[in-house]
Amino acid sequence: MTKEFDDKLDRAARQLATEIAPERDLWPDIATAIAEPRRSRWTPMFAQAAALVLLVGASSAITYVTVKNDSAPVVSIEPELVFEQTSFGANYNLGPGFQDARNSLRADLDAELTRLSPEARTNIQENLDLIHTAIADINVVLEKEPENVLLQQMLLRAYREELTLLSRVGGLTRNVAMRNDI
Amino acid sequence: MEALLTVASSDYSQVMVNADTDIAADERAWILKAQRSDARAFEALYRLHVDKIYGLCLRMTGNVSEAEDCTQEAFIQAWNKMEKFRGDSAFATWLHRIAVNAVLGRIRKSKREHDRIQAVSDVQTARVATGDTGELRDLAEAVDRLPERARHVFILNAVYGYSHEEAARMLGIAAGTSKAQLHRARRLLTQQLEDQGFTG
Repeated sequence: MTKEFDDKLDRAARQLATEIAPERDLWPDIATAIAEPRRSRWTPMFAQAAALVLLVGASSAITYVTVKNDSAPVVSIEPELVFEQTSFGANYNLGPGFQDARNSLRADLDAELTRLSPEARTNIQENLDLIHTAIADINVVLEKEPENVLLQQMLLRAYREELTLLSRVGGLTRNVAMRNDI
Repeated sequence: MEALLTVASSDYSQVMVNADTDIAADERAWILKAQRSDARAFEALYRLHVDKIYGLCLRMTGNVSEAEDCTQEAFIQAWNKMEKFRGDSAFATWLHRIAVNAVLGRIRKSKREHDRIQAVSDVQTARVATGDTGELRDLAEAVDRLPERARHVFILNAVYGYSHEEAARMLGIAAGTSKAQLHRARRLLTQQLEDQGFTG
Protein backbone atom coordinates (compact mmCIF):
# COMPACT_ATOMS: atom_id res chain seq x y z
CA MET A 1 0.00 0.00 0.00
CA THR A 2 1.67 3.21 -1.15
CA LYS A 3 0.83 6.83 -0.59
CA GLU A 4 0.50 7.21 -4.34
CA PHE A 5 -2.04 4.43 -4.57
CA ASP A 6 -3.93 5.84 -1.57
CA ASP A 7 -4.16 9.17 -3.36
CA LYS A 8 -5.48 7.45 -6.48
CA LEU A 9 -8.01 5.63 -4.36
CA ASP A 10 -9.16 8.83 -2.67
CA ARG A 11 -9.47 10.67 -5.97
CA ALA A 12 -11.48 7.83 -7.46
CA ALA A 13 -13.68 7.55 -4.34
CA ARG A 14 -14.54 11.24 -4.61
CA GLN A 15 -15.71 10.63 -8.17
CA LEU A 16 -18.19 7.94 -7.21
CA ALA A 17 -21.74 9.18 -7.58
CA THR A 18 -23.23 10.36 -4.30
CA GLU A 19 -26.66 11.15 -5.72
CA ILE A 20 -28.42 8.19 -7.30
CA ALA A 21 -32.03 8.19 -8.42
CA PRO A 22 -34.04 5.21 -7.19
CA GLU A 23 -35.44 2.96 -9.91
CA ARG A 24 -38.99 3.50 -8.70
CA ASP A 25 -40.88 6.27 -6.97
CA LEU A 26 -40.61 5.62 -3.23
CA TRP A 27 -42.94 8.45 -2.27
CA PRO A 28 -46.34 6.63 -2.38
CA ASP A 29 -45.31 4.21 0.41
CA ILE A 30 -43.90 7.08 2.45
CA ALA A 31 -47.08 9.12 1.91
CA THR A 32 -49.17 6.21 3.17
CA ALA A 33 -46.99 5.80 6.25
CA ILE A 34 -47.00 9.47 7.20
CA ALA A 35 -50.73 9.83 6.62
CA GLU A 36 -51.24 8.51 10.15
CA PRO A 37 -51.06 11.12 12.92
CA ARG A 38 -47.58 11.79 14.26
CA ARG A 39 -46.78 9.76 17.35
CA SER A 40 -46.49 11.64 20.59
CA ARG A 41 -42.85 12.44 21.26
CA TRP A 42 -43.30 11.12 24.78
CA THR A 43 -44.42 7.67 23.71
CA PRO A 44 -40.90 6.20 23.60
CA MET A 45 -40.07 7.78 26.95
CA PHE A 46 -43.28 6.35 28.37
CA ALA A 47 -42.34 2.93 27.12
CA GLN A 48 -38.82 3.34 28.45
CA ALA A 49 -40.04 4.37 31.90
CA ALA A 50 -42.57 1.55 32.02
CA ALA A 51 -39.94 -0.96 30.92
CA LEU A 52 -37.58 0.31 33.59
CA VAL A 53 -40.18 -0.10 36.31
CA LEU A 54 -40.91 -3.64 35.14
CA LEU A 55 -37.20 -4.36 35.05
CA VAL A 56 -36.82 -2.97 38.54
CA GLY A 57 -39.56 -5.29 39.79
CA ALA A 58 -38.02 -8.31 38.15
CA SER A 59 -34.50 -7.54 39.28
CA SER A 60 -35.65 -6.82 42.83
CA ALA A 61 -37.11 -10.30 42.93
CA ILE A 62 -33.80 -11.72 41.69
CA THR A 63 -31.94 -9.71 44.31
CA TYR A 64 -34.27 -11.04 46.98
CA VAL A 65 -33.57 -14.61 45.91
CA THR A 66 -29.81 -13.96 45.73
CA VAL A 67 -29.68 -12.35 49.14
CA LYS A 68 -31.91 -15.02 50.59
CA ASN A 69 -29.65 -17.77 49.27
CA ASP A 70 -26.65 -15.88 50.54
CA SER A 71 -27.98 -15.99 54.07
CA ALA A 72 -28.87 -19.70 54.07
CA PRO A 73 -31.79 -21.06 56.09
CA VAL A 74 -32.96 -17.80 57.48
CA VAL A 75 -36.65 -17.06 57.60
CA SER A 76 -37.06 -13.52 56.42
CA ILE A 77 -39.90 -11.43 57.65
CA GLU A 78 -41.79 -9.66 54.89
CA PRO A 79 -41.67 -5.98 55.67
CA GLU A 80 -44.92 -4.31 56.37
CA LEU A 81 -44.65 -0.85 55.02
CA VAL A 82 -47.33 1.75 55.00
CA PHE A 83 -47.30 3.80 51.83
CA GLU A 84 -48.64 7.24 52.22
CA GLN A 85 -50.45 9.18 49.58
CA THR A 86 -47.95 10.46 47.04
CA SER A 87 -47.65 14.17 46.70
CA PHE A 88 -46.87 15.14 43.12
CA GLY A 89 -45.85 18.72 43.65
CA ALA A 90 -42.97 20.53 42.09
CA ASN A 91 -40.44 17.82 42.87
CA TYR A 92 -42.74 14.80 42.84
CA ASN A 93 -41.58 13.72 46.29
CA LEU A 94 -43.35 11.30 48.53
CA GLY A 95 -44.88 12.09 51.93
CA PRO A 96 -42.70 12.89 54.98
CA GLY A 97 -43.35 9.56 56.73
CA PHE A 98 -42.26 7.69 53.63
CA GLN A 99 -39.17 9.87 53.32
CA ASP A 100 -38.27 9.26 56.98
CA ALA A 101 -38.51 5.49 56.55
CA ARG A 102 -36.43 5.71 53.35
CA ASN A 103 -33.77 7.92 54.92
CA SER A 104 -33.51 5.67 57.95
CA LEU A 105 -33.04 2.57 55.82
CA ARG A 106 -30.56 4.35 53.53
CA ALA A 107 -28.52 5.42 56.55
CA ASP A 108 -28.12 1.83 57.74
CA LEU A 109 -27.59 0.37 54.30
CA ASP A 110 -23.80 0.69 54.01
CA ALA A 111 -23.21 -0.97 57.37
CA GLU A 112 -25.65 -3.75 56.59
CA LEU A 113 -24.20 -4.41 53.15
CA THR A 114 -20.83 -5.28 54.68
CA ARG A 115 -22.44 -8.34 56.24
CA LEU A 116 -23.30 -9.77 52.81
CA SER A 117 -21.12 -11.45 50.22
CA PRO A 118 -19.48 -9.27 47.51
CA GLU A 119 -21.80 -10.80 44.86
CA ALA A 120 -24.89 -9.96 46.84
CA ARG A 121 -23.61 -6.44 47.54
CA THR A 122 -22.95 -5.82 43.85
CA ASN A 123 -26.36 -7.19 42.95
CA ILE A 124 -28.10 -4.94 45.45
CA GLN A 125 -26.17 -1.85 44.36
CA GLU A 126 -26.95 -2.52 40.70
CA ASN A 127 -30.63 -2.83 41.52
CA LEU A 128 -30.63 0.35 43.57
CA ASP A 129 -28.94 2.17 40.67
CA LEU A 130 -31.60 0.80 38.34
CA ILE A 131 -34.37 2.03 40.60
CA HIS A 132 -32.79 5.48 40.88
CA THR A 133 -32.48 5.67 37.11
CA ALA A 134 -36.15 4.75 36.78
CA ILE A 135 -37.16 7.42 39.32
CA ALA A 136 -35.09 10.06 37.52
CA ASP A 137 -36.47 9.10 34.10
CA ILE A 138 -40.06 9.09 35.27
CA ASN A 139 -39.56 12.49 36.89
CA VAL A 140 -38.23 13.87 33.61
CA VAL A 141 -41.40 12.79 31.82
CA LEU A 142 -43.58 13.94 34.72
CA GLU A 143 -42.21 17.44 34.40
CA LYS A 144 -43.75 17.54 30.94
CA GLU A 145 -46.95 15.77 31.90
CA PRO A 146 -47.52 16.43 35.61
CA GLU A 147 -51.16 15.31 35.49
CA ASN A 148 -50.40 11.91 34.01
CA VAL A 149 -51.85 9.37 36.43
CA LEU A 150 -50.04 6.42 34.87
CA LEU A 151 -46.68 8.12 35.37
CA GLN A 152 -47.59 8.99 38.96
CA GLN A 153 -48.40 5.34 39.60
CA MET A 154 -45.15 4.26 37.98
CA LEU A 155 -43.20 6.67 40.17
CA LEU A 156 -44.93 5.43 43.29
CA ARG A 157 -44.18 1.87 42.29
CA ALA A 158 -40.50 2.68 41.75
CA TYR A 159 -40.28 4.32 45.19
CA ARG A 160 -42.03 1.33 46.67
CA GLU A 161 -39.54 -1.03 45.03
CA GLU A 162 -36.68 0.97 46.49
CA LEU A 163 -38.14 0.91 49.98
CA THR A 164 -38.94 -2.78 49.76
CA LEU A 165 -35.41 -3.55 48.60
CA LEU A 166 -33.87 -1.48 51.39
CA SER A 167 -36.01 -3.05 54.08
CA ARG A 168 -35.34 -6.56 52.74
CA VAL A 169 -31.62 -5.95 52.94
CA GLY A 170 -32.03 -4.68 56.49
CA GLY A 171 -34.22 -7.59 57.57
CA LEU A 172 -31.97 -10.21 56.04
CA THR A 173 -28.72 -8.83 57.41
CA ARG A 174 -30.22 -8.61 60.86
CA ASN A 175 -31.21 -12.27 60.53
CA VAL A 176 -27.69 -13.13 59.38
CA ALA A 177 -26.29 -11.39 62.45
CA MET A 178 -28.67 -13.24 64.74
CA ARG A 179 -27.74 -16.59 63.23
CA ASN A 180 -24.05 -15.83 63.69
CA ASP A 181 -24.75 -15.05 67.33
CA ILE A 182 -26.23 -18.48 67.76
CA MET B 1 -15.63 38.27 -28.24
CA GLU B 2 -13.58 37.27 -25.23
CA ALA B 3 -15.24 40.01 -23.21
CA LEU B 4 -18.61 38.75 -24.37
CA LEU B 5 -17.78 35.23 -23.26
CA THR B 6 -16.61 36.51 -19.89
CA VAL B 7 -19.85 38.40 -19.39
CA ALA B 8 -21.89 35.39 -20.46
CA SER B 9 -19.94 33.15 -18.12
CA SER B 10 -20.38 35.63 -15.28
CA ASP B 11 -24.12 35.83 -15.97
CA TYR B 12 -24.34 32.06 -15.95
CA SER B 13 -22.59 31.90 -12.58
CA GLN B 14 -24.99 34.50 -11.25
CA VAL B 15 -27.93 32.47 -12.52
CA MET B 16 -26.54 29.41 -10.74
CA VAL B 17 -26.02 31.36 -7.52
CA ASN B 18 -29.55 32.71 -7.76
CA ALA B 19 -30.89 29.20 -8.40
CA ASP B 20 -29.05 27.89 -5.33
CA THR B 21 -30.37 30.76 -3.24
CA ASP B 22 -33.90 30.09 -4.49
CA ILE B 23 -33.62 26.40 -3.64
CA ALA B 24 -32.30 27.20 -0.18
CA ALA B 25 -35.16 29.63 0.39
CA ASP B 26 -37.69 27.09 -0.89
CA GLU B 27 -36.15 24.42 1.32
CA ARG B 28 -36.45 26.61 4.42
CA ALA B 29 -40.09 27.32 3.62
CA TRP B 30 -40.83 23.63 3.03
CA ILE B 31 -39.14 22.70 6.31
CA LEU B 32 -41.27 25.17 8.26
CA LYS B 33 -44.44 23.89 6.59
CA ALA B 34 -43.48 20.24 7.08
CA GLN B 35 -42.87 20.97 10.75
CA ARG B 36 -46.52 22.04 10.84
CA SER B 37 -47.50 18.65 9.36
CA ASP B 38 -47.80 19.82 5.74
CA ALA B 39 -47.30 16.57 3.80
CA ARG B 40 -47.05 18.38 0.45
CA ALA B 41 -44.14 20.45 1.70
CA PHE B 42 -42.53 17.28 3.01
CA GLU B 43 -42.98 15.69 -0.41
CA ALA B 44 -41.13 18.65 -1.91
CA LEU B 45 -38.29 18.02 0.56
CA TYR B 46 -38.36 14.35 -0.40
CA ARG B 47 -38.08 15.20 -4.12
CA LEU B 48 -35.18 17.54 -3.38
CA HIS B 49 -33.18 15.07 -1.30
CA VAL B 50 -34.23 11.56 -2.31
CA ASP B 51 -31.29 11.01 -4.68
CA LYS B 52 -28.78 11.92 -1.97
CA ILE B 53 -30.41 9.66 0.60
CA TYR B 54 -30.97 6.75 -1.76
CA GLY B 55 -27.38 7.08 -3.00
CA LEU B 56 -26.04 6.85 0.54
CA CYS B 57 -28.31 3.91 1.41
CA LEU B 58 -27.36 2.09 -1.80
CA ARG B 59 -23.63 2.61 -1.19
CA MET B 60 -23.95 1.44 2.42
CA THR B 61 -26.17 -1.60 1.84
CA GLY B 62 -25.02 -2.56 -1.66
CA ASN B 63 -28.52 -3.79 -2.39
CA VAL B 64 -31.33 -2.04 -4.28
CA SER B 65 -34.19 -3.50 -2.27
CA GLU B 66 -32.51 -2.76 1.08
CA ALA B 67 -31.61 0.72 -0.08
CA GLU B 68 -35.21 1.43 -1.07
CA ASP B 69 -36.46 0.24 2.32
CA CYS B 70 -33.85 2.28 4.19
CA THR B 71 -34.65 5.38 2.14
CA GLN B 72 -38.33 5.07 2.93
CA GLU B 73 -37.60 4.39 6.58
CA ALA B 74 -35.31 7.43 6.74
CA PHE B 75 -37.95 9.78 5.31
CA ILE B 76 -40.66 8.36 7.58
CA GLN B 77 -38.40 8.90 10.59
CA ALA B 78 -37.54 12.38 9.34
CA TRP B 79 -41.27 13.19 9.16
CA ASN B 80 -41.76 11.96 12.73
CA LYS B 81 -38.78 14.01 13.94
CA MET B 82 -39.37 17.14 11.84
CA GLU B 83 -40.20 19.32 14.82
CA LYS B 84 -36.83 18.45 16.34
CA PHE B 85 -34.91 19.85 13.37
CA ARG B 86 -33.53 23.21 14.57
CA GLY B 87 -31.29 24.04 11.64
CA ASP B 88 -28.05 23.54 13.58
CA SER B 89 -26.77 21.59 10.57
CA ALA B 90 -27.86 21.54 6.93
CA PHE B 91 -31.10 19.68 6.35
CA ALA B 92 -29.26 17.27 4.01
CA THR B 93 -26.74 16.44 6.76
CA TRP B 94 -29.56 15.91 9.24
CA LEU B 95 -31.23 13.55 6.75
CA HIS B 96 -27.93 11.74 6.17
CA ARG B 97 -27.63 11.03 9.89
CA ILE B 98 -31.16 9.62 9.95
CA ALA B 99 -30.43 7.52 6.88
CA VAL B 100 -27.23 6.10 8.39
CA ASN B 101 -29.23 5.21 11.51
CA ALA B 102 -31.88 3.56 9.36
CA VAL B 103 -29.23 1.47 7.60
CA LEU B 104 -27.52 0.47 10.87
CA GLY B 105 -30.87 -0.27 12.54
CA ARG B 106 -31.91 -2.43 9.65
CA ILE B 107 -28.64 -4.37 9.72
CA ARG B 108 -28.90 -4.89 13.48
CA LYS B 109 -32.54 -5.88 13.28
CA SER B 110 -32.39 -8.29 10.41
CA LYS B 111 -28.91 -9.73 11.02
CA ARG B 112 -28.87 -10.31 7.34
CA GLU B 113 -25.42 -9.00 6.58
CA HIS B 114 -24.42 -12.38 5.23
CA ASP B 115 -27.40 -12.22 2.91
CA ARG B 116 -26.18 -8.84 1.72
CA ILE B 117 -22.78 -10.26 0.89
CA GLN B 118 -24.47 -13.06 -0.99
CA ALA B 119 -26.71 -10.57 -2.72
CA VAL B 120 -23.68 -8.62 -3.96
CA SER B 121 -23.13 -11.35 -6.49
CA ASP B 122 -26.45 -10.57 -8.15
CA VAL B 123 -26.79 -6.86 -7.73
CA GLN B 124 -26.17 -6.02 -11.35
CA THR B 125 -29.18 -3.73 -11.20
CA ALA B 126 -27.62 -1.88 -8.25
CA ARG B 127 -24.38 -1.25 -10.09
CA VAL B 128 -26.13 -0.14 -13.24
CA ALA B 129 -28.24 2.14 -11.10
CA THR B 130 -25.20 3.88 -9.55
CA GLY B 131 -23.99 5.06 -12.94
CA ASP B 132 -20.40 4.05 -12.17
CA THR B 133 -18.41 3.00 -15.23
CA GLY B 134 -14.96 1.63 -15.98
CA GLU B 135 -12.52 1.76 -13.08
CA LEU B 136 -15.06 3.51 -10.89
CA ARG B 137 -17.27 0.50 -11.32
CA ASP B 138 -14.37 -1.75 -10.27
CA LEU B 139 -13.88 0.43 -7.21
CA ALA B 140 -17.60 0.36 -6.36
CA GLU B 141 -17.60 -3.43 -6.59
CA ALA B 142 -14.50 -3.66 -4.41
CA VAL B 143 -16.12 -1.35 -1.84
CA ASP B 144 -19.18 -3.61 -1.86
CA ARG B 145 -16.98 -6.53 -0.88
CA LEU B 146 -15.46 -4.76 2.13
CA PRO B 147 -16.42 -5.90 5.64
CA GLU B 148 -19.40 -3.95 6.95
CA ARG B 149 -17.71 -1.45 9.26
CA ALA B 150 -14.77 -0.74 6.97
CA ARG B 151 -17.25 -0.22 4.11
CA HIS B 152 -19.39 2.20 6.10
CA VAL B 153 -16.39 4.26 7.23
CA PHE B 154 -14.92 4.34 3.70
CA ILE B 155 -18.23 5.46 2.20
CA LEU B 156 -18.85 8.22 4.75
CA ASN B 157 -15.26 9.43 4.84
CA ALA B 158 -13.78 8.86 1.38
CA VAL B 159 -16.92 9.05 -0.78
CA TYR B 160 -19.11 11.56 1.11
CA GLY B 161 -16.28 13.58 2.64
CA TYR B 162 -17.36 13.43 6.28
CA SER B 163 -14.56 13.88 8.81
CA HIS B 164 -13.61 10.99 11.09
CA GLU B 165 -15.39 12.72 13.96
CA GLU B 166 -18.60 13.16 11.93
CA ALA B 167 -18.49 9.62 10.53
CA ALA B 168 -17.79 8.21 14.00
CA ARG B 169 -20.74 10.12 15.47
CA MET B 170 -23.04 8.81 12.75
CA LEU B 171 -21.85 5.23 13.17
CA GLY B 172 -21.74 5.31 16.96
CA ILE B 173 -18.03 4.49 17.13
CA ALA B 174 -14.89 6.28 18.34
CA ALA B 175 -13.02 8.58 15.93
CA GLY B 176 -9.95 6.38 16.41
CA THR B 177 -11.96 3.35 15.31
CA SER B 178 -13.06 5.26 12.23
CA LYS B 179 -9.42 5.99 11.34
CA ALA B 180 -8.44 2.36 11.90
CA GLN B 181 -11.33 1.13 9.76
CA LEU B 182 -10.45 3.54 6.95
CA HIS B 183 -6.88 2.24 7.01
CA ARG B 184 -8.23 -1.30 6.90
CA ALA B 185 -10.57 -0.44 4.02
CA ARG B 186 -7.73 1.12 2.02
CA ARG B 187 -5.51 -1.90 2.62
CA LEU B 188 -8.21 -4.32 1.47
CA LEU B 189 -9.12 -2.18 -1.54
CA THR B 190 -5.46 -1.93 -2.51
CA GLN B 191 -5.14 -5.72 -2.39
CA GLN B 192 -8.19 -6.11 -4.62
CA LEU B 193 -7.55 -3.32 -7.08
CA GLU B 194 -3.78 -3.45 -7.61
CA ASP B 195 -4.13 -6.92 -9.07
CA GLN B 196 -6.70 -5.55 -11.52
CA GLY B 197 -4.26 -2.88 -12.70
CA PHE B 198 -6.30 -0.06 -11.21
CA THR B 199 -4.78 3.27 -12.20
CA GLY B 200 -7.30 5.63 -10.65
